[in-house]
Amino acid sequence: MDHLDQLESKSIYIIREAYYRFKDMAMLWSVGKDSTTLLWLCRKAFFGKIPFPIIHIDTGYKFPEMYAFRDRLAKEWGLNLIVGRNEEKIKEGMGPFKGSKLECCNELKTNALKQVIARYGLKAILLGIRRDEHGIRAKERYFSPRDTQFKWNYEDQPAEIWDQYKSKVEEEEHFRIHPLLHFTELDVWEYVRRENIPIVELYFTRDGKRFRSIGCVPCCSPIESNASTVDEIIEELKISKTPERAGRAQDKEDTYTMQKLRALGYM
Amino acid sequence: MEERKALVIGIDGVPFTLVKEYVEKGYMPNLKSILDQGFRLWQMDASLPDISSVSWTTFLTGVNPAEHGIYGFIHLDPRDYSLRFPNSGNVLAPTFFQILGLDPGGKDSSLARKYLPRFKEPRSSIVINVPHTYPAYPMKGVLISGFVALDMARAVYPPVLVSTLKRMNYVIDVDPSKGHRDRDGFLEDLFQALDTRKEAFDLFFQGKWDLFVACITETDRLHHFFFDAALDQDHAYHNDFVDFYRKLDSLIGHLYDVFRSRWGDEGLFMILSDHGFTRLKREVNVNRALEEAGLLKLRKDGERYQRMAPGTKAFALDPCRIHLHMKDRYPLGEVEEGDGESILRDLESIMGDLKDEEGNPVIRSMYRRDEIYQGPFMDDAPHLLCLPVDGYDLKGRVGTDSIFASSVFAGMHNQHDAMLLLPGNKDFSGKPHIGQLAGLLLDYFCGEDH
Repeated sequence: MDHLDQLESKSIYIIREAYYRFKDMAMLWSVGKDSTTLLWLCRKAFFGKIPFPIIHIDTGYKFPEMYAFRDRLAKEWGLNLIVGRNEEKIKEGMGPFKGSKLECCNELKTNALKQVIARYGLKAILLGIRRDEHGIRAKERYFSPRDTQFKWNYEDQPAEIWDQYKSKVEEEEHFRIHPLLHFTELDVWEYVRRENIPIVELYFTRDGKRFRSIGCVPCCSPIESNASTVDEIIEELKISKTPERAGRAQDKEDTYTMQKLRALGYM
Repeated sequence: MEERKALVIGIDGVPFTLVKEYVEKGYMPNLKSILDQGFRLWQMDASLPDISSVSWTTFLTGVNPAEHGIYGFIHLDPRDYSLRFPNSGNVLAPTFFQILGLDPGGKDSSLARKYLPRFKEPRSSIVINVPHTYPAYPMKGVLISGFVALDMARAVYPPVLVSTLKRMNYVIDVDPSKGHRDRDGFLEDLFQALDTRKEAFDLFFQGKWDLFVACITETDRLHHFFFDAALDQDHAYHNDFVDFYRKLDSLIGHLYDVFRSRWGDEGLFMILSDHGFTRLKREVNVNRALEEAGLLKLRKDGERYQRMAPGTKAFALDPCRIHLHMKDRYPLGEVEEGDGESILRDLESIMGDLKDEEGNPVIRSMYRRDEIYQGPFMDDAPHLLCLPVDGYDLKGRVGTDSIFASSVFAGMHNQHDAMLLLPGNKDFSGKPHIGQLAGLLLDYFCGEDH
């Protein structure tokens, strides 16, 4: 079994294990490359027909290409698609230009997801996060309990050895399940290439720039790149030293810098 | 290769006039002795604006902000009006120590093009605590970043030195917020920080290097909180202030002696500050002045510059970088290219006429971007930069109730009173500018300093 086969079979094992334990389950699909890869793995796990709903949280600020891609695939793959929107806040005009970006994310993403979880009584959500994405994600488990406020206590988590996953914890509202945790960014692209998984065109170069990580239009910046095919992206990643999410707002360091500057009278 | 060595001591925010007076008063005997050995003290111009990140970057790169890309601690993202905090990764020109190391880090500048071909062998540098060098990056030698450095692990190159520095309790910066709540404790921290700087300088001094840059930033922190004590003998903290300068003087004397004992009289010795300092009388909220003149419109909700509403023609970033709200640059921008000139004239008259409650003028000089900047990164430059009369601290706060406000700070930067100490045989055709020093150092290393 080669490297990609091993990654794939581990993911499929976790997906099936999750569905066996939680019938009230759904998958979160951001339409990015990782969650589209997860979607592909879910189809494989259940021989083409995914037995649970697919949630897309729509902030209203996604790229038009993402909406088109979402609707096309939902139709072609016969997905049970739930689009979650925090309608109340969207009507109030919440957006990245109103209030802080953190507030915007909190209302249009986190609270929108909370609403969907409550409305459908979901007990588990599949997510396409990976350990190599960000320092803090290295601490994630495959089965990760969250309380009603979505709080994650990363210092007190069940051990996961010999493929034994804990899925019952008192008082917890729902589980996050991460079947893609062991993939790296490069693994995802190599798997996309092998399986010929459809990917939003934003990842490929246009006028010398492409997106390496996609989300809402105002919070994503493209990188300089001439990669126009999956092969070229893979070659580019092999020599890149820039972190994947460098184009995303780097809120934490900025907050600390701001505190330092303010203490000296700036701003 | 002829052996050439240079020691540069940076003292953040130390004004020429104060040093001169303290030398005359006998508070700085070591500096006096250095001056008596044939050195000269100059009053020097800092960068425009006179902010540490801009001034030190100008010193290190020897080029102006339109070429090195740093105009302040804060940059406004023109796509969404959010704030960005530039760091060393945003410096777009190589520093003189990268040029000396023959590795400009993929960067280019007029200075690099001039000097790189003149060096055949790379030279190594030790650079400690210079602001705006975080995160530390690969270079030939040692780089320990200064303010604003957030994480020791990313502030040191080569990284193997992190544990050494941690063991000696090296501090990147004192906690300036303590100056607001515990003045005595803050002073204690400043004295202690000077000790750990000395320890670090001594440690790395023993190594192999051609250029050593030792920067002290505690002076700037002392000045922000205690500058009113500098010359006021009745001030409760006057003696502490003078004691700090005595300690600084003894550190300078110590470094000078070690340098001379190791390299004789041949090496180049230099001291500089990145800007001057003066007593702060009033804070001036420039954006409030623009609001009252109808040039800046704010919404009630949102944070800082994200409050800007349609109809805004101009806004200011710290300290007084006034930008036109251009249509082709900002999502809500309305200023067409052809209207810029008349708005600039309005701005010049609004700022020129600005007077405090007692009728004293606030603005000392104004510059349009084309007058002071030249280079590939002009787009980020302010359209108008104002310098205040000493005492009026210009601020870029958004949404204040009044133009003038009192301050919790005792001192403020100024541009015209930075200091420079050099051997007496170095001369300038007029008043020196901090941007000239990189060329002077590189001239020295390629033997063209006569």
